[in-house]
Amino acid sequence: MTTAHVDRPRKRPYRAPAPLGGRGSSGVQRTRTGSRRSRSALAFLAPALIVLAIFVVWPMVSALQMSFTDASGFGQAEWVGLDNYTRIFTDPDIRDAVVNTVVYAVLFTPTAVVVALALALLLTSDRLPLRGLFRTALFLPFIISLAVAALAWSYLIDPQVGLLHYWLRGVGIDLGNVLQDPTLAMPAVALVAVWKNFGFYMVIFMAGLQEIPGSLYEAAKMDGANAWTRFWRITLPMLSSTTAFVLIFATIAALQAFDQIYVMTGGGPYGNTQTVVMEIYESGFRKLDLGFASALSYVLLLATLVLSIVQFVFFGRREEES
Amino acid sequence: MKRIPSLVAASLTLALVSLTACSSDGSSDADGPVELTFWHGYTEADGDVLEQIVDDFNAAHDGEITITTQVNPWAVIDDTFLPALSADNGPEIVAMPAERLPVYADRGAFVDLDDFYDADEATPALNTGALDMVTVDGTRYGVPTGFVPLTMFYNKALFDAAGVEVPTTWDEWVTAAEALTVDQDGDGTPEQYGLALADHATVGNGVWPSLFYGNGGAIVEDGKAVVDSPENAETLEFWHDAITAGKISPTGVDGVSGDGLFSSGRAAMYIGGPWMATVSEENGVDYGIAPIPAGPQEQAASAIGVSMALTEQADQAQQEAAQEFFSYFLSQQEATTWALGSGWPPLRTDVPASDVAENPVVAALTEQAALGRPLLPGVVNSTDVLTAVDTLTQRAMAGDPVDALLAEAQTAVQAALDD
Repeated sequence: MTTAHVDRPRKRPYRAPAPLGGRGSSGVQRTRTGSRRSRSALAFLAPALIVLAIFVVWPMVSALQMSFTDASGFGQAEWVGLDNYTRIFTDPDIRDAVVNTVVYAVLFTPTAVVVALALALLLTSDRLPLRGLFRTALFLPFIISLAVAALAWSYLIDPQVGLLHYWLRGVGIDLGNVLQDPTLAMPAVALVAVWKNFGFYMVIFMAGLQEIPGSLYEAAKMDGANAWTRFWRITLPMLSSTTAFVLIFATIAALQAFDQIYVMTGGGPYGNTQTVVMEIYESGFRKLDLGFASALSYVLLLATLVLSIVQFVFFGRREEES
Repeated sequence: MKRIPSLVAASLTLALVSLTACSSDGSSDADGPVELTFWHGYTEADGDVLEQIVDDFNAAHDGEITITTQVNPWAVIDDTFLPALSADNGPEIVAMPAERLPVYADRGAFVDLDDFYDADEATPALNTGALDMVTVDGTRYGVPTGFVPLTMFYNKALFDAAGVEVPTTWDEWVTAAEALTVDQDGDGTPEQYGLALADHATVGNGVWPSLFYGNGGAIVEDGKAVVDSPENAETLEFWHDAITAGKISPTGVDGVSGDGLFSSGRAAMYIGGPWMATVSEENGVDYGIAPIPAGPQEQAASAIGVSMALTEQADQAQQEAAQEFFSYFLSQQEATTWALGSGWPPLRTDVPASDVAENPVVAALTEQAALGRPLLPGVVNSTDVLTAVDTLTQRAMAGDPVDALLAEAQTAVQAALDD
């Protein structure tokens, strides 16, 4: 979608044309109104900026500083230079955690996005009855606390008391102890996260779908395009900025996976679901190695940033092409 | 437009409030009583008794010392203690699971209590295992509030129904478990297990160390990893074979699901701590308590400990007041009150089982107290050691070859000790 720069302020304050060949009084006038406008803008922004500074910027700065020390959170901390960072790239546990995080992201992100898009398409279709009910029902998991959802799911798939097991056994399937199975544990926690989060992405997709002008579909129908072609040629390209947003969000969520893993497996069985954020939590709060935990947080932040930028650029280009 | 100033004001107030909330007011007034904050995680009947002990102490020191308790589950204390310390807003006294104490002590969070121990009359009578758990590099940093060997809980009704005696050796144990395992519908998954043998993440992490001790093995000795031993290999193989052959226990059980299996009557035997008595009573399980059956070499059990420590945030007056409380808490009378109320055996060896006979659980545990060995005393990086042991036992029970696993665990434990 190419948009020309047509957005202009609707009302511009009247300004007398500057007298030719010199700096007249109107120039002074302009800076004065300018500074007044920026002052009132600042007043509006101040509450948000203060909160942001105290709760986001300050912790980030102090974490960066901490990442070069052996801080434990209290007492004296010594400067250790890049030690923490070199440890990240040599520690085999961290390497395992990175691999686990990537596996989790690969399981979670595409699944969540595809499920969300499919259901968004379904729920915007006029032919579906009780749409409102379905929309609410599918969005509900997103409102529940992730820890609560994780706990509920742990019980559902528990081999001793789990209802899901009971049902599956009825049809002859024995899942075994899913959360203690080194190959099934990660898919299980990823699926719970998909179940928990797709509602949010679905709503974003639904908003994106409503932005697409109906005339495009009508024209395509007249040209004889079938539903599949209409999806690939109209819906998907028109949704590309929405998809980019959802993908970036889902990727960030995947890289920061913690709650459901902490509750459901605690990183086990034997470290197979230990993600980077779990590692950060353990280093910081279990081993009191806040310096190392901060360094790891920064490396994760950079990785997330790079991935987001790559996705943004990729989808930005697709948007220009279409 | 009128809303802007109020919005700004509101957010400023919010910011200021949160800032002041962070600052500490722990210092004591020169004139008034010395005020102490005490965090602990005793939330059940044990909590009521501890509150009573603190109240009595406060009453006895009216106008001099006031201790205010703050009760949170242990996990919450572990999560909030560090942020509180770094905000200089922590408690003066904190109780925590004993294996968590060395990591804080090593980072300089606690006051050295050697002088207190040298001066106080109560301490020579303390259980030495409990003392080991508060000692880091030869210095004592805490006062034990609990020390109890893991013990075997068994379901009397299921034992009677199967006509089985309480086992005293490993072989009897496995035979009894086989007799108690029932697969009614014959689908290969028993409806009732003889034993719930947790293979990882148990509360107190003591199940496998107890089994290792029984066969003459260990995990750490004199600061060195000793996991990779023929004794431990034998132990792992013995239990793996017993579980696969007779399906006497489910695999992949952790402490929480093990508690559930026993309290729901789906497992006839279980290794646990004193809280299982309460859990069983609440669930209507008629339970008995017996020592963990003896292994081929020894009868021993890993012990669970809780310790309290004095934080570096306490000023001189607060330190003295806290030590006053410690010696009150450890006095023979209070130690007996505490044992009876908490359900844990007395911390002093000079309190005989007859003094605590009115609580049968405490009496039974007191008789077993000598079997208890502290888990990883003084090991700072116990988190990584226990993770390595959990990996070892889970994978061994899942059927991975034991020799390679032991070698791996040995490397991991030694690395954690060197760290």
